[in-house]
Amino acid sequence: MRGQSGAFSPVRLGIYGFLLISAAFFLLPLYVMVVTSLKSMPEIREGNLLALPGAPSAAAWIKAWSTACTGLTCNGIQVGFWNSVTILVPSVAVSISVGAVTGYALSLWRPRGAALLFGILMSVAFVPYQVFLFPLVRMFSYVGLNSTLLGIIVIHTIFGLPTMTLIFRNYFASVPIELFKAARVDGAGFWRIFGSIMLPMAVPIIVVAMILQTTGIWNDFIFGLVFAGRENFPMTVQLNNIVNSTQGEREYNVDMAATMLTALVPLAVYFISGRWFVRGIAAGAVKG
Amino acid sequence: MRFNLRFVSGRIAAQVALLPAMLIALTVFCGATGWTVWISLTNSRMLPNTNFIGLRQYGSLFANERWIVSVQNLALFGALFIVISLALGFLLAVLIDQRVRAEDLLRSMFLYPFSMSFIVTGLAWRWILDPTLGISKLAHDLGFEAIQFDWLVRQDRVIFTLLAAGVWHAAGLVMAIMLAGLRGIDQEIWKATRIEGIPAWRTYLFVVLPMLKGSFATATILMATSVVRLYDLSVAMTNGGPGIASEVPAKFVMDNLFERQNIGLATAAATSMLVTVVAVVAPLLYWQSRSAERAAR
Amino acid sequence: MAGVRVSALSKSYGALSVLRDIDLEVAEGEFTVLLGPSGCGKSTLLNAIAGLDDINDGTIMIGGEDVTAREPSKRGIAMVFQSYALYPTMTVRGNLSFGLKVKGRPRAEIEKRVAWAAELLQITPQLDRKPGQMSGGQRQRVAIGRALVQDARLFLFDEPLSNLDAKLRTEMRVEIKKLHKELGLTIVYVTHDQIEAMTLATRIAVMQGGRIEQYAAPDELYERPETLFVAGFVGAPAMNFLPGIWRAGAVEVDGIRIPAGALDLRAPVADGTSVVLGVRPEHIGLAEDGAPGEAIATTMQFMEPMGADTLGWFAMGGHRLSVRLAPQRARAVAGATTLALDLRLASLFDATTERRL
Repeated sequence: MRGQSGAFSPVRLGIYGFLLISAAFFLLPLYVMVVTSLKSMPEIREGNLLALPGAPSAAAWIKAWSTACTGLTCNGIQVGFWNSVTILVPSVAVSISVGAVTGYALSLWRPRGAALLFGILMSVAFVPYQVFLFPLVRMFSYVGLNSTLLGIIVIHTIFGLPTMTLIFRNYFASVPIELFKAARVDGAGFWRIFGSIMLPMAVPIIVVAMILQTTGIWNDFIFGLVFAGRENFPMTVQLNNIVNSTQGEREYNVDMAATMLTALVPLAVYFISGRWFVRGIAAGAVKG
Repeated sequence: MRFNLRFVSGRIAAQVALLPAMLIALTVFCGATGWTVWISLTNSRMLPNTNFIGLRQYGSLFANERWIVSVQNLALFGALFIVISLALGFLLAVLIDQRVRAEDLLRSMFLYPFSMSFIVTGLAWRWILDPTLGISKLAHDLGFEAIQFDWLVRQDRVIFTLLAAGVWHAAGLVMAIMLAGLRGIDQEIWKATRIEGIPAWRTYLFVVLPMLKGSFATATILMATSVVRLYDLSVAMTNGGPGIASEVPAKFVMDNLFERQNIGLATAAATSMLVTVVAVVAPLLYWQSRSAERAAR
Repeated sequence: MAGVRVSALSKSYGALSVLRDIDLEVAEGEFTVLLGPSGCGKSTLLNAIAGLDDINDGTIMIGGEDVTAREPSKRGIAMVFQSYALYPTMTVRGNLSFGLKVKGRPRAEIEKRVAWAAELLQITPQLDRKPGQMSGGQRQRVAIGRALVQDARLFLFDEPLSNLDAKLRTEMRVEIKKLHKELGLTIVYVTHDQIEAMTLATRIAVMQGGRIEQYAAPDELYERPETLFVAGFVGAPAMNFLPGIWRAGAVEVDGIRIPAGALDLRAPVADGTSVVLGVRPEHIGLAEDGAPGEAIATTMQFMEPMGADTLGWFAMGGHRLSVRLAPQRARAVAGATTLALDLRLASLFDATTERRL
C-alpha cells in the first residue's frame, strides 16, 4: 500500500536495482556450487568461478555420490545420506510426539511442576550446547548409548524438546478453552481428549514442527559428530570429512557436488513448504 | 484448594505424560549443567576427577591466548553479524513491501540460504573465497591484477569471511520476520500518515520502526543464540585458521573436550559461555516478564 | 428429586473473591436464569455447578445427590457453551455421539438418540457436515443437540445466544423455550441479556459482585425489585431514581415534596431516612392527559423516538426523568410540562442499605 506503483520513477528504479543486486548476492553461492560441480578439474583451474561449464558433466556428482573418499573408505557420500535418513525419520517422529504430549499437558492440564518445567525448557533454548556435551557423553557411555543410532535419536529428542514443547504449548493454549470443557463434560480423559480432539486439530502445527525438525536434524553437525559414532555419521559430518580428506589432489567439482547433494533435502523442504517454512521459524522463535 | 480431587484421574495422566520431559529437564538440562560446572572446578584432564582446585581452571583459561582470541572473534563477529543482518534484512523487507513485482520469487531467493546447514554454507563460501581459484582469480582474469582477495588466509581479515557467510545465511530470515511485522501493521496508520503528508521514509523511520520492536527482538534473540553456538561454520570454512585467527569459543570447548583431552579447561570455557548468556538473557527475561505483568494489570 | 441445590458456595482466586456464600435452589423442570453484568460471577457459578471450576467451600447437589467432588461427566449434566465448542474435526454426527461413545453406550442406542435429537432440532440433513461448513444458527442447534443426546438430569447454558445476530437470537430463544416446555428439562442458563432472561426464565437470579441479589420470577423481579441494583439493572429504558429524604409520608427531592401515600411499603419508614424513589418510565404520564399520580412540574429537554414509543426526557430540579410516551403525543410536548408519577407501582429503597423498604 505504500508509495505509488506504475510509473518508473528514479526511486523505483533504485528499489529494483538494490533488490536485484541483493538477489545476485544471495544466489551467487548456489550458482557457483552448481556450475563448479558440472565442470572438469582442468576447466576449473583455467576458467573462472562464474563461467558456465563448457561441457557440463555429471561425473563429479556420480563420484561424489558413490566413490568419493573419506580417509581410506571410498563409498561416496551416499553412506552419509542413508545414515541421515535413518537418523532423521525416527528422530522427527519421536521428538514431535514427545513435544506434542508435553505441550498439551502443559497448556491444558497445568500439572504439578508445570511452571518449573516450562521455565527450564525455555532457558535451555539460549544455552550453548557445549555446556551439556561432556556429561551427556559420560551418561550415554554409562548406559551404552554412545555411538549408536538410538543414542543420536535420543539426543535429537532431547534438544528438540524445548522448541517442540513451545510451539505445541502455544498452539494448544490458543484452542478455545470451552472445547476442552465440552470434552470434559462429555467424559473424555487426558488421552482421549488428546487423541480424538486436540491432535486432529493440530495438523497444521504438526506440519510446521515437521518442517522445523526435518531441516534442523538434517543440518545438524555437532550432535552427529559427537553422538552418532563413525558407523552412523550423518551426511553433514561425512561431507566435511570428504572435503577435508587430504588424499591426493583437491577436487573442487566433487566437493561442490557433494555439498549440493547434502543441501538438497533441506532445499526441497524449503521450496515445497513455501510460506510454512517462515511460519515454522516464527512459531519456534516467539518465546512465551 | 479443597476440591482439587475432582480432576484427579486426568491430572495423574497428565503428570505421567510429563515424565519424559521432566526426566530430560532434570537429568540432562539441570544435571548436566551442574556436572559441567563441577568439573570446571577440578583439575580433570582426560577423565573427570574430584580434585577440587577452585577457580584455577578459569585462571588458566583467561591466560590462554587461544581462548582470548576466540572470545574476541566472537564479540566482533556477533556484533557485526547481528547489526548487519538486522539492517540488511529490514531494508530488504521494506523494499519488498513496496508492491514490487515477483515478490514471492524475491522472498524465496533471500530466504533459501537459511534452510541450508552451516557446513554447506561454510564449504560454499570457502570455495568462492578460495585465494587461488575463487573470486581472486575472477578479478585477475577480468584484468584487475591489483586485487588480492585472500582474506580467507589472512589472519587479520579471516573473521570477515565468516561474517559474509553468516550474513548470507541469516539476512533472509530477518527479512521474513520483518516483512511479517510490516504486514501486521494496521493499514490505517498508512492512511493517516498519508493524509498528514508525512514522507514514506520518515514514516518508516519514526512510526514503523518503533512498531516493529517485537520483530527486532525476535530476530535478535534468534541470531544471538546462533552466534553463541557458532561452531560448524568455523569448522567448515577455516577450521579455526589460519593459525588460530578464526577460533570461536564453542570450537575451543569442543577441541579441548575431544582432541586435547583437557576437560577441566573445556568445562571452564563452557561455564564461562553459560555465565555470559545468563548475564545477558536473565535481565532481558526479567524485564520482559515485568512488562508483561504491567500490561496484564 | 431432580433439580439443583447449591449451598454456601464460595470461590476465590487468592484474595479476590468471585463467589460469596451462594445459595440457590432450582426445582425439577424449572428454567433458572443467572443474570448479571460481566464479571458478576454468573459464569463461574455455572462452571462450578458443572464441575469445571474448583470451588473453595460449599456443596452442590444435583438430583438429590452430593456431586461436589465428582468429575463433570459423572454429574448427569449437559452443557451448551457460548462459542458452541463444537469439535471442529468431527462431523455433526461425531459431535453428537462423542459423549455417548466415551461413556461406552451401545451403538444402536447412540444412533437412535442422535437421530432423535437431529430430528428435533431439524439438523438431520447436516449430520455429515463439519461445523466449519455451517452457519452460526446451525452450529447453535448442533451445540444444543449435543447436550440433548445425553440423558442429562440438568442442562447448563452459558450465554448460548450471544454470538448470534438479533433475528436468529429471537428465533433460537423461542426454540429453547419450546424444548424446555416439551421435554420438561431442568435448565440453568447464564446471560447478560435481560430480555432473554425475562422471556425464558421461570425464575431469575440477578447476580452482582459474586452474590445473588434477588432470585424471583420475572414479573416479581420487574415489579418489586429487592435492591437498588436489581431495580437499575432490570428494565430498559432503566428505572428513574430520585434520591431524597423521607418526611411525613412524602419523599422530598431537592425541596420538592412528592406525597407517597400510594407507595406499597413493607413497614413504616422513619422520618429523616435517606431514600431513593424508583419509578419506571411507563409509570409516569402527562398530567394534562389525566394520567394518575402525583403531579410535579418539569421542563421537557429532548425526545428519543424508539419506534413503538418515544422516550421523553424531562428536567426536574437537578434530576432527569425519562417517560414512555406514545409517539404521536410526544411530538406535541414542549417546554414546561406537568408530569404525573404513579407511585402505586413505584419502589422505595433505603439509600444506605440499598434495599427495598
